[in-house]
Amino acid sequence: MPDVGRAALLVTLGLSLYATVAGAWAARTRRRRLADSAGNALLAALGTSAVAAAVLLVALLRHDFSFTYVADHTSTRLPTGYTISAFWGGQEGSLLLWLLVLAAYASAAVFVNRRRAPDLAAWSVPVLGAVMTFFALLLVAVASPFTTQAAPAEGAGLNPSLQNPYMLAHPPLLYLGYVGLTIPFAFAIGALLAKRTDERWIVATRRWTLVAWTALGIGQLLGSHWAYVEVGWGGFYAWDPVENAALMPWLAATAFLHSVMIQEKRGMLRIWNVLLVILAFGLSLFGTFLTRSGVVNSIHSFTESSIGPWFLGFICVVVAFSLALVFVRLPLLRSKTRLESLVSREAAFLYNNLLLVAFCLTILWGVAFPMLSELVRGESRTLGQPYYNFFLRAFGLPLLLLMGLGPLIAWRRASVRALSRTFAWPAGVALATGLVLLAAGAGSSPPGLIAYTFSTFVLASIALEFVRGARASGSVLQLVGRNRRRYGGYIVHAAIVLIAIGVAGSAYDSVAEGRLRPGETLTAGPWTAVYRSLDQERAANALELRARVDLYHDRELAGTIYPGKNRYFAEAQTSNEMAIHTDWLRAEDVDVITDQINTDGSVYFRVIVKPLVNLIWVAGVIFLFGSLVAMWPDAREQRRLAARYAPASA
Amino acid sequence: MTTALVVAAVLAVLAVGVVAAPFLRDPDGRNDVLERRDVLDERRLELSEERDRALLALRELEFDHRTGKISDDDYRMLVGDYRRRAAAAMRALEPTTRRRQAVDVQR
Amino acid sequence: MARRGNPARLVIALSVAAVLAVFLLYTSIAGGGTPSLKPSELPGHTGRVSLAGVVAGPQRGDGRNAPLRFRLRDIGGEAAVPVRYEGSVPDLFKVGRHIVVDGTLKNGTFVAVPGTLVTKCPSKYAPKNSDSSL
Repeated sequence: MPDVGRAALLVTLGLSLYATVAGAWAARTRRRRLADSAGNALLAALGTSAVAAAVLLVALLRHDFSFTYVADHTSTRLPTGYTISAFWGGQEGSLLLWLLVLAAYASAAVFVNRRRAPDLAAWSVPVLGAVMTFFALLLVAVASPFTTQAAPAEGAGLNPSLQNPYMLAHPPLLYLGYVGLTIPFAFAIGALLAKRTDERWIVATRRWTLVAWTALGIGQLLGSHWAYVEVGWGGFYAWDPVENAALMPWLAATAFLHSVMIQEKRGMLRIWNVLLVILAFGLSLFGTFLTRSGVVNSIHSFTESSIGPWFLGFICVVVAFSLALVFVRLPLLRSKTRLESLVSREAAFLYNNLLLVAFCLTILWGVAFPMLSELVRGESRTLGQPYYNFFLRAFGLPLLLLMGLGPLIAWRRASVRALSRTFAWPAGVALATGLVLLAAGAGSSPPGLIAYTFSTFVLASIALEFVRGARASGSVLQLVGRNRRRYGGYIVHAAIVLIAIGVAGSAYDSVAEGRLRPGETLTAGPWTAVYRSLDQERAANALELRARVDLYHDRELAGTIYPGKNRYFAEAQTSNEMAIHTDWLRAEDVDVITDQINTDGSVYFRVIVKPLVNLIWVAGVIFLFGSLVAMWPDAREQRRLAARYAPASA
Repeated sequence: MTTALVVAAVLAVLAVGVVAAPFLRDPDGRNDVLERRDVLDERRLELSEERDRALLALRELEFDHRTGKISDDDYRMLVGDYRRRAAAAMRALEPTTRRRQAVDVQR
Repeated sequence: MARRGNPARLVIALSVAAVLAVFLLYTSIAGGGTPSLKPSELPGHTGRVSLAGVVAGPQRGDGRNAPLRFRLRDIGGEAAVPVRYEGSVPDLFKVGRHIVVDGTLKNGTFVAVPGTLVTKCPSKYAPKNSDSSL
């Protein structure tokens, strides 16, 4: 059975290589059949990758411990869902998943565009093929999922902290995001190779980019939620390198998504757009390199493996080649339109680009700092939370403001008078809210207060857009139906603002901790936690210790929660099971964590009151909804584009 | 072991089949050219994009004006400019379309 | 009023300058990060550092009732240093785990900053016979 897997991967490698070489040759010499053949090779590679994936999946489900990978990541007692998730739980399997998703994306993108934009598709095939060749090569030569051994009686099992539903959703979504960024990259490089100066590549890949960007965003939100409910420190983002690894390409992709709008509408920022897509793709590769190679200290990381240098080498080749290509094609990329005014929507998008890229690069610096400082000073130094928080505020707050200003400014130039009229109402609402919050004590954190004020401004301006637009279009449904991208985008902006509000809420957390005996209490803000009793229950694979805690808000009983720990027998490991009481009405979470359970029945508790944190998760749903609206096909737009790009001769 | 070999062989054959399909379907290779794109096509594309941009800008301008984002003065100043641009692009596009069709008839 | 020349260039240049300024300001004020060391590199360092290594016995205390005491060894090495920690101890903590903890070396003992003990999730991507297997 492993032989089938190995053979399938070998054939995949061959096909990817063929797609790269034949595809490049076909595009160069304009041979249609060869180009089709190279594109077909990508489809065939999808088939063979699927076969390899099936082999691994079957081995996992059959608990075939003769596969080293299966033995290392599963056990017979593991529930089926987690056995499946073990597919992407390890190095080799996750690489195979990457290859599979890439093959799927690549074939789909090429086949959809084959007849509509033949030469663009033809030039994208070798680029896609090259990336696939890299991953196939890794799987064949460096990290094969199909190594075998004398089958042990039992497997190593999956770490209990990974045994939860998030393990099923978080990694695949992230992969859909990371890998999806390959498509706009390939088409951008393809367009440059084909010496095209038009926007076909942007039009062709717009939805793909949106899908990848949305998946990456939702994947990160799921990861944050996982950290929040499972890890038990009351936080949801730690600026850990692995977390940053997903945030950086997402920021670059955000800049890219916005910037291409300018190219479409005004023909500007073309060099920006190519560079942004290269940055986004490069960072997605870099992100996975960070996660796998162990070069940085991370709570998620994984000891050094030999795969690091390969990734680093590939990233260098990709970036060098892409930048060289951009340099050579620079004359073609120069736009004819100029920025007319620093106060215009174009300028706002430019500032947006600058802020997002600046933020992205400061995170990159922070992630790379330990490695760089080691090289330069011989000593590895890390930059922690204070560094990241500073720049989050320095760049995040202006970005927040820009989200509100941008849509209100007109194209090309906006007169101060027109601006002041459109801004008046949202600015007024925001200032009023700010003053109210200040009076309510929000001044304890100036950045928090500023964030809330800006957020109100943005929400007010979005609401205004909807109201004015609906009045002009007849109804909200008609409005959104006719301007899906714009208003879908506004919904996404609203979601981002809600996330900002939720994040800003952390500046107003209250914490109380201490050792309690039954009957004793802890008070944090208006909340009081009373420790009642300690119980234990024997589950199939763990001893579950739970403390019964009553929560009171002022004097009223709000609820009873059961924080505790699970002591897993087989793995000899303890997991923290914190309890979260969500108060929707007051919009805050009360987290009770059992830090330490002592033998005498006393428990060291930590109680954290987190205002507004739930907005983040609610925003995730709104974010998804807005994205779907934005990417929903628009028949009228499709017709217009088809007419534009159809050959004049039928 | 033999099942593995058979499966691998089948995979390889199928892969070759899929890859060779374009050649098998069209052995003569008439009209094997990828896409005829010449300077004329480039120019047409450029002009089409410019026309669409101008039309889109006009549409947005109307919308922004109706929703009160642009004052009457600004609107009057910009609408004329956009209309001229759209008209110019459409005018420039016409002869290229005729030229394209003429060239194609000759081929 | 259309401008001559390209204000975009100016904007970009000014922005880059502004970012650099903010950056330099920050790093000069906040200092250039915390050193990340292995126990073998620790001697001679005063001041707060971040220590990464593998937990070695004997382990005493629990962090709350009594200070947690253990030895931290180089990953793949011999050098070890005694560590004294008070505060939240993650549940994953045990002998053989890889951890990171902040603190200062005082009289031969590494006195940790409360709350900075972080255990690494047992490796997903580690090679089979890694140091953490116990």
